Amino acid sequence: MANILWLQGGACSGNTMSFLNAEEPSACDLVTDFGMNILWHPSLGMELGDNLQQMLRDCVSGKIKLDIFVFEGTVVNAPNGTGEWNRFAGRPMKEWVRELSDAADFVVAIGDCATWGGIPATAPNPSDSQGLQFLKRDHGGFLGKDFKAKSGLPVINIPGCPAHPDWVTQILVAVATGRAGDLTLDDFQRPKTFFQSFTQTGCTRNMHFAYKVSATEFGQRKGCLFYDLGCRGPMTHSPCNRILWNRVSSKTRAGMPCLGCTEPEFPFFDLAPGTVFKTQTVMGVPKDMPEGVDKKGYIKLTGAAKAAAPAWVEQDIFVV
Amino acid sequence: MVKGAAVSPEQATVNNELRVRLRDMLEDRLETEVEPRAYDDNTTQSIVVRLQELAPDDYENKLRIAGFTLMPWRAGDEIESACATCMYYVVHRRFCELPELMLPVEPEWSCRLWRI
Repeated sequence: MANILWLQGGACSGNTMSFLNAEEPSACDLVTDFGMNILWHPSLGMELGDNLQQMLRDCVSGKIKLDIFVFEGTVVNAPNGTGEWNRFAGRPMKEWVRELSDAADFVVAIGDCATWGGIPATAPNPSDSQGLQFLKRDHGGFLGKDFKAKSGLPVINIPGCPAHPDWVTQILVAVATGRAGDLTLDDFQRPKTFFQSFTQTGCTRNMHFAYKVSATEFGQRKGCLFYDLGCRGPMTHSPCNRILWNRVSSKTRAGMPCLGCTEPEFPFFDLAPGTVFKTQTVMGVPKDMPEGVDKKGYIKLTGAAKAAAPAWVEQDIFVV
Repeated sequence: MVKGAAVSPEQATVNNELRVRLRDMLEDRLETEVEPRAYDDNTTQSIVVRLQELAPDDYENKLRIAGFTLMPWRAGDEIESACATCMYYVVHRRFCELPELMLPVEPEWSCRLWRI
């Protein structure tokens, strides 16, 4: 039986909504099939008021063993470092986060806000928000770069806006069933099993990417969304086209550009006007290249690919 | 025409005729706004907004505002902007699919909205 505690900081509840939609395994499966005991969760917790405060204190003291502490949302430090803008159970949330992280065997950050600050930490960051162990790309965050939970692992980051429900439940199952040792994390402490590949991996538009045929409108089935509509699929690490959303689709499959929401810089360009859904270019060449590709190589490849493009790739080949 | 749909022989004929007409306009020294190039998003947006105000068959002003030339535009050693390598260019139809243009073109032509 693994005890799980889930708290929310500066959050929109999007990751909670996502988690409650999990299917493989579902939130119920965690309890019935994998022996997890959800001590408290903002949408599922039964305890209120003094009882909740006592339970949290017992987790901190060790009276209740805290196996997994899950945090959703940013750590809010405003105003003036006090964290008073986000109070919970009688005190600033940041104080609970510090003590519960120190008490837990594993700490799991769910969603962009908890991992690296996400939208709340976008400049000018009025709530003085941080992720648990990162602030955007800077290692450190609220807990500091040297933080390790009792298990010896740093915070396990599961980014996304929101994170896919199955990424959440599958990692929780792995940790709760003693297979945390099988997890390997990348430089941003994301489980490689999900975040080694790119959003583009498995994208149905890859042939259009290869032959440099561009989509010019949302929802258009022909064409790659990278060239004009700002898709970040070739630069973003996520399995969105391997583990489909609602089992059926993904942003790019539906004709919607990837926003790069599993990367620390999200939202990109601080949401400056004209930067969303538009590929940013310098002299007509994309500012952000597919990972590992240089400008010269990209220009040469494009010329060759367009010259070699077959006629069918310019047509809508999908039949409803 | 639906984007991505195969082109009918009739439409291909219309496109070929229009392409010749556009070439004639450019060869007749139609003065086009080749500069400033759309090297930043503000310039791109200002050009696109002007194009959006045009009637779909106002070909002369489309060529003028987009800054079309009959030859590729060179910028430095690395970048040669020609329709052939532009993301809006559809190779087999020899057609520009930028929604604000939607013009039959030739691969060696160029315009200042080129992006690769």
